[in-house]
This record gives sequence, structure tokens and C-alpha cells, in this order.
Amino acid sequence: MNPLPVLVLLPVTGGGLAWLAARIRPHSARPSARDASWWTVLATLIGETLVLAMVTFHHTDHAGPWLEHFAAPWIPVMGIAFRLDIDGLSLSMIWLSLVLCFLCAFLAPRQDTTGAGTFHFLFLATLTGIIGTFLATDLFLFFFFWELMLVPMFVLIATWGHEDRQRAAMKFFMFTQGSGLVMLLSILGLVMTHYRATGVLTFDYFTLSRTPLSPALSMLLMLGFFIAFAVKLPVVPVHVWLPDAHTQAPTAASVLLAGIMLKTGGYGMIRFDVMLFPDAASRFAPVAMALGVVGILYGAWMSCMQDDVKRLIAYGSISHMGFVLSGIFGGSAMGMQGAIVQMLAHGLGTGALFLIAGAIQDRMHTRDMRRIGGLWAVMPRLSGTGLFFAVASLGMPGLGNFVGEFLVLLAIWHASPIIATLAATGLILAAIYALRMVNRIFLAAPRADLRPVRDFPARQMAVFACVMAFMIVLGLYPQPFMTFSTPAPLSVTAMPRPEGSAP
Amino acid sequence: MTGHDLFLPTPFLVICAGLMVMLAVTAWRRSVGRSFSCAVGTLLLVLATVGRHAGTLPEDGGSLFIQDQWTTCTAILIVFSSLCILLMSWRDAMHDRDAPVDEYPLLLMLGTLGALSMVFSVNYMPFFLGLEILGISLMGLVAFGHRPAMAGHEAAMKYLILSGVSSAILLFGIGLAYGVTGSLRFMPPVAGRDVPTALSVVATVMILVGMFFKLSTVPFHMWLPDVMEGAPVPVAAFVAVVSKIAIFSSLVRYFGTGEQPVFVNDILYVVIVLTIMGGNLLALRQVSLTRLMACSSIAHVGYLLIAFICPGHLQSRAITIYLAAYTASTLGVFAVMTAFATTAGPDGTVIAQWKGLFFSHPFLASAMSLMLLSLAGIPPGIGFFAKFEVAATGVEQQRGVLLCVLVIGSIIGLYYYLNIIRVMMSVPSLPPVRVTRHVRPELTALVIVLTIIVVIGGLFPARALHPFLPSPAVASGMRDGTVH
Repeated sequence: MNPLPVLVLLPVTGGGLAWLAARIRPHSARPSARDASWWTVLATLIGETLVLAMVTFHHTDHAGPWLEHFAAPWIPVMGIAFRLDIDGLSLSMIWLSLVLCFLCAFLAPRQDTTGAGTFHFLFLATLTGIIGTFLATDLFLFFFFWELMLVPMFVLIATWGHEDRQRAAMKFFMFTQGSGLVMLLSILGLVMTHYRATGVLTFDYFTLSRTPLSPALSMLLMLGFFIAFAVKLPVVPVHVWLPDAHTQAPTAASVLLAGIMLKTGGYGMIRFDVMLFPDAASRFAPVAMALGVVGILYGAWMSCMQDDVKRLIAYGSISHMGFVLSGIFGGSAMGMQGAIVQMLAHGLGTGALFLIAGAIQDRMHTRDMRRIGGLWAVMPRLSGTGLFFAVASLGMPGLGNFVGEFLVLLAIWHASPIIATLAATGLILAAIYALRMVNRIFLAAPRADLRPVRDFPARQMAVFACVMAFMIVLGLYPQPFMTFSTPAPLSVTAMPRPEGSAP
Repeated sequence: MTGHDLFLPTPFLVICAGLMVMLAVTAWRRSVGRSFSCAVGTLLLVLATVGRHAGTLPEDGGSLFIQDQWTTCTAILIVFSSLCILLMSWRDAMHDRDAPVDEYPLLLMLGTLGALSMVFSVNYMPFFLGLEILGISLMGLVAFGHRPAMAGHEAAMKYLILSGVSSAILLFGIGLAYGVTGSLRFMPPVAGRDVPTALSVVATVMILVGMFFKLSTVPFHMWLPDVMEGAPVPVAAFVAVVSKIAIFSSLVRYFGTGEQPVFVNDILYVVIVLTIMGGNLLALRQVSLTRLMACSSIAHVGYLLIAFICPGHLQSRAITIYLAAYTASTLGVFAVMTAFATTAGPDGTVIAQWKGLFFSHPFLASAMSLMLLSLAGIPPGIGFFAKFEVAATGVEQQRGVLLCVLVIGSIIGLYYYLNIIRVMMSVPSLPPVRVTRHVRPELTALVIVLTIIVVIGGLFPARALHPFLPSPAVASGMRDGTVH
């Protein structure tokens, strides 16, 4: 039995079961009744992990970078099929998603005030959409999942978010969906060009990659894809939705948003912009790198200005994603690897930071840093964890972010020293905002009205310790991750490296 | 015309016979229930006989009616919609003890008859008769509002006058067309040698304008929101769905699916841009859900027209699935509205009344959200695939402007659909007042059926819609065979 459809469908099925489990005794006040739903979620995630491990360690008989392939007819009249393929890049992104989902399941405050079952269902439905996007190699299917993951996320933000949740949710949905429509036109443009050239109507990624395109047309189509991914990543002029959505979302949704959903943008850029339109992408690279640097500086600068913890982390994400954008379009394999490592490290680090921010908010009932201070004295464990991830996010050597940022900077330096210099300035700003956050929340003098609060229990610390270990491994020995997660080339025979690969 | 070359589609005969029976039943003894049962039975029978016909199609093209895949598809949609609308209005009609409303199903059936007549006609006569039957029975239906009677009457008057004006324009156009060609065949007039071309152009444009009035595309859209707001909710659904499908199907039959004449294309271009932008922008500020649905239905006609003027091998599939998606989703919204309405409390026509529905009635709220998302073109609803197909036709013909308008319109549309969902999600400030609701199994069943159609149609559009697709070659071939 092919594991790929299982990977996609298992979370949503498990979500449905979790929803049912919560309905068995909905009015029971005993926590055990509520936990039935949570246990289902955990079982689903474990099952998903097992399947994924099978894919990872299963040695296929056919040698090649694509590990598994699945295809089933879906809408034959339109040449649309349920095509899924997995390579190292998708695999590492899915691993990241799963790790973060475990984090959420263990650490995020249970949303059991209103409908834990629904919450769990929506959470896992989003996961299905995300994993689907990472696996789909049929452009229609990709677009389907791309749109599908928005709906549950919208509901998560709009129902369980914080005070201004509905505006944030609307903004999130409108931005991503609107840009998605532009991508749809691009997809259709590519398909129709292929149809006119060959008479075959298909949405297959591999077939379409061989479409003969004029330079102008390929630029146009590439831009259509780029806009959608740029909104998701986000790139600076279209980042407006992100600070609101991340700040207002409930903790688990923030982790999903920052940790994985942003990565679908980066993934899409690698898979569909750079690999499908290599020429157009290399011509567009200067603009993209400039946008990336603007993002790095703007995000970091805005982050320094914030008083709201979650907003600070959100703007920090924009800054980190600037590195990813520059790396992807940096024009070398090194930049691409740097971008991927940066995505992995950012996913883990920011996910953890959002969890810590959520934990602080649960305990202090505010996200305003002016009203929080001196947590080190009362919550040493939480503060220590916070310090670790803050330092990781500023790019401390030895931790994951450093590797990513260093590789990206090195790659941009080959392309344009000025841009690289500017991007490096972002690291200084990153140090400022990260240390400022640490200083104000954890180290400042304790506030007089600080009530006694519970620190992280040992169980949660163990979970965080695992993530820290990941970060350190990623920082000290990134080579296996880098070789593992290289995107598979479109055709195994041609082996085109990403455009203009380093000599 | 003699007896032996009479060609009649069976559904047409069945619905006429059913109407006779209903009239007889009403004359014998007035009973709302019996009247409704008769209507439902007739409609089911019509559904069963769609695709059959009596008599043979005359070779010379002198037939009044035609039967092909396109008629089958639209007839099924129309009859199915009428059936749904009957079910929606059943309980309200039964509830009204003091004023028996057994004319209501009769009028609804007459309207369906008119719509079917328009669908099946290939001659100006049955087309115009059908149009008038539909229009006049709709006027009666619109005035049926039992809430404030004045609103219903006002809407009915508005409808009467505007529909009269548009019929007059249409009729004048038909007259001119007859003058040009000397034939009543339902096709754009082609000027002969001794007739000025301008005459045929004027005739075509007048017919087009008449159809635009009925379709409520933007310069001619003013009546629709008012009429739908004044009408009872199920009748509003009838206006939004059945009459639009009928007139759209005639439009397609009239102009054919191929390349249009240049002036028709230009007019359509402008009308589409105006319709999509106008409909969506109008919908933005509405506080009444019926008005919002009216404006959104204007916009949807615009999307449909995009598929209409982009000939290509995707076209007929796009039109069919878009019609089906629009029908199912719109009917779904109206079904949820009727299920939500209470006789004493809020009737669900004002958006603010929907506040907190996710907490009081999660099932209704979820179904409503699904329908709205389907209308907005978000998966997993069928509307997603429909919009995808329409965009594909546009891309195939490289209509850049129309595609831009489609994208902008969809984004605006998404905003107001999401806004309703947002309202349903917001926590009610007051604890929900428990309004006694009648148990309405038929409405629940209807909502469930429509939900299943929307989801299955969205996930497996190929399987769900394959039989209806009139492949363009076959459809036009059959039409050519009959018309020439």
C-alpha cells in the first residue's frame, strides 16, 4: 500500500475521529472525557510519524531522488490526477510539520472552553492541507490543498483567537486567497500553453516542466506563482496580514502559521518558481534578493519597535523569511541549502517562541512587554527556554539559524556584495530585538504586582529539550540535513541543478 | 403545421398535464396539502421523463421545440430547483391556516412550465410565451409575501413594470428579426441581400438587451435586489435560480456556443466587466441577506457570461458545471435561510440576525458556511471547481481583462461571504433566546442533500457531472441539424 495518500488523509481522518471522540460525553466536566479527543490527536500524530518514518527509511528499488510516487485518476477530462511525489525537500518539511504538531499537542494550552473536538479537527485538517501542498505534483491538486488549508486556519483564528481575532482572520484569508487566484491564472496559463504546444491537457508537474515558453511568458507565469508564495512567505510589501494573524491566533495556530504555513511559501518558491521557470527566476533574482533584504531589515526594524511579544516574534519571522527569499533566489545550491536549513531552524525556533509567548500570556494574561518583567525569578525554566530560543533566533553560532543565515549570506555575497552587507546588518538588528525581548521579559526587575505562577513542569521541559537538541544538531552538524533535504531535480536524467549553480 | 410533424418533449407534456390536474383538484376542493403533493408528484414525474420526447423532429427545422443534451441538463436543473423551492415553502404554506395558499404551488408550477418552455424552444413563439408565463406567475409569487404585505406588493409592481418594459424591448427586437429574415427561428437574424445589415444588428441588440434585463446584468440590474427582498424567501430563490437558468439557457441556445459576432462580443465584454464589478460592489454594503444574495447572483451571472464568450473545448463543460454549482450553492443558502426562519422570531433576511449561529445551531451554520464558501469558490465546495473551469476558459482564449475582473470580483466577493461567516462566528452578546422552532424534517433533509451535492460535486466533479456535459460538437451539431 502506498504511504503517500495515507500521509495526506490520515490527519483529517484522525481529526474527524477526534471530533467524534469529543462528542461522546460533551457535557462531562471530568477532564478524562475531554482528553479522549486529545488522545485521538496524539494517536493520529504517532501514526503519521510511523508512516513518515517508513517512507524515510524504506529503501525503494528504483534509485533516484524521488522517494515515492502515487497517482490515481481524479478528473480525467481535464487531465487532472491525484499525483503525489515525495523527495527530500518535502520529506524534511513534513518532518518539521510533525515535530511542531507534537509540540502543539503537548504544550499548547488546551482550547477546551468551546469545543475541543472542533479545535482538534480543524488543527488536523490544516495539517492535511499543509502536507498535501508539500506532496502534490499535480498543479490543480497543489492549488486545491493550497486553498483548502486556509479554511480551517481561518476558523481557528476567528473562533479561538485573541481580542481582535476576526479582523485578523479576514485579512489573512483575503490576502492568501486573493494571491492564490493569481497563482491559479498562472497555473492555467502554463497548462494552456502546454496544451497549445502539444495538444495534451495535463496538470502534471513533470510534464509541464517541459513546456516550451517564451522568455516574456515564462516571466509572467513565474510572477503569478511568485505573488502567491510571496504573500505566504511573506515578502515585505504583502506581509500586512502576518503580524495581525500571528498575534491574534491561538497559540497552536500561531505555531502552525509561523512554523509550517510560512514554509509552504518557501517550498512553493523552490519547487514551482525556481525549478519550473529557472530562466525567469534567474532573471528575476536581483529583484527577489532586494525584496529579501528589504524584508530582513524592515522585519527586524519593526520587531525592535514592538511592545507585544507575539508581534515582536511575528516581525522577527518576516526578517528570517527575508533570508529564505534571498537564499532561494541567490542563484546557487549553497543559497538554496541555506534557505532550507533556515526554514527548518526558523520553524523550530519560532514555533517554540510562540509556545513560550502563549505560556506567558496564559500565566500573565497579557502580551504587553511593558507589563511583564522579571520572570526569571519566578519561572526560571520558562525563562531559560525563552533565552535559548531568543538567542537561536538572533543567529548564535552553533544553533540552526546561524547555519542557514551564514550559508545564505555567503551565497548572496557571490551575487552581490552590497546586498550581502545590507542583509548582514539585519543580524545586528536581530540581536537588538531578541535581546531586548529577553531583557524586558525575563531579566528586568520583577514587577511589584507579580503574582505567583507555575513554571513549566518537567514533562514540558523534556519536550522543549528535544527541540533544543534538534536546534543544536542542526547548528553543529547540518550536513546530513543539507544533503537530505535538497530538492529533487525535475528529471533524473537531466539533473539540472538550481540555476547558475556554484562552480 | 400538421399533426405528424409535431415534436414535443415529454417533460413539457407531463408538466402541462400535471397543471391541469392541479387546476381540477383546486376547483374540486381547496386543500394546500393536496396541491403541494400534486406539484411534487408532477415534478418528480417530469424529472423521470427528462430526455424523452413525443413525435419526430421535422427535418426542415420548422419545429417549435428541440431536445438535446443542453435542454436535458438545464431542464434537470430547473425541475430540481423547483422541487427544492416547493419543499422550502411547504411548511410556511401549511402553517398559514387563515389564508389558504393553494395557488402558490400552482403559480410555482406555471413558472416552471414557462422556464421549461424557454429551455426547449427553438422558435420565438414558445420562447416568448414561456418568458411571459414565467414573468406573470412570478409576479403573483412575489406578491405572496405574508410579512408586511406592502413590501411584497411593491416588489411585484416593480417586477411587473420592469418585466413589461423588457418584454416590450425583446418583442420589438423579435419583430425586427422577423422583418429581416421572415422566419421565427430562434437564432440571430442574418440580413439578406436586400435588407440593410443595420436592421439585423439592431434586432439582435434589442433581443440581447431584453435578455440582459431578465438576466439582470449590470446596466439593467436595478430591479433584482428590490424584487428579491420584497418576495418571500423561497420565491427569491426561484427568481435567483430558475428564471436565471431559463434565460441563460435561451441565451446560449440563441447565440450558440461558437464565436460570436464582433458587436455582440463587444457588448458582452462591457456588460461582463460592469456586471462583475457592479454586482460585487453592490453586495459589499448590504445588510439584508436576500439583497446580498441578489447582488451576488448578479456577479455570478457575470462569471457565467465569461464562460459564454470564451468559445473553446472547455466552454460547455465550464458553463454546465458553473450553472450546477451556482444552482446547488444558491439553493443551499436559501434552504438554510428557510430552515433558520421562525414564524414569530427572526426570519433570517437580515445578516445581523445570524450572529452567533455557530453556537446555537452549529449544523445550520456549517452548512451555510459551506454554501457561501462554495459561492466564493473555495474548496471543498463545487463552486471551487466551477470557478476554476471558468478561469480556464478565459485563459484558453487569453481574455486578460476579463480574468483580472474575475480575480478582483472574486476577492471582493470573498469579503462579503466571509463577513457573513464572521457574523455567525461572533459570540452573541445576549444569551440566545430559545425560539420555538417547528421540527422541519423536509428542510433538514433538503439542506443535507444539497450539502452532499456541493461537497461530492466539489471533490469528484468529473464523476458527478459527466452525464450532463453537452460536448460542444454534439450540441451544436444537433442544433445545426434541426435549425437548418
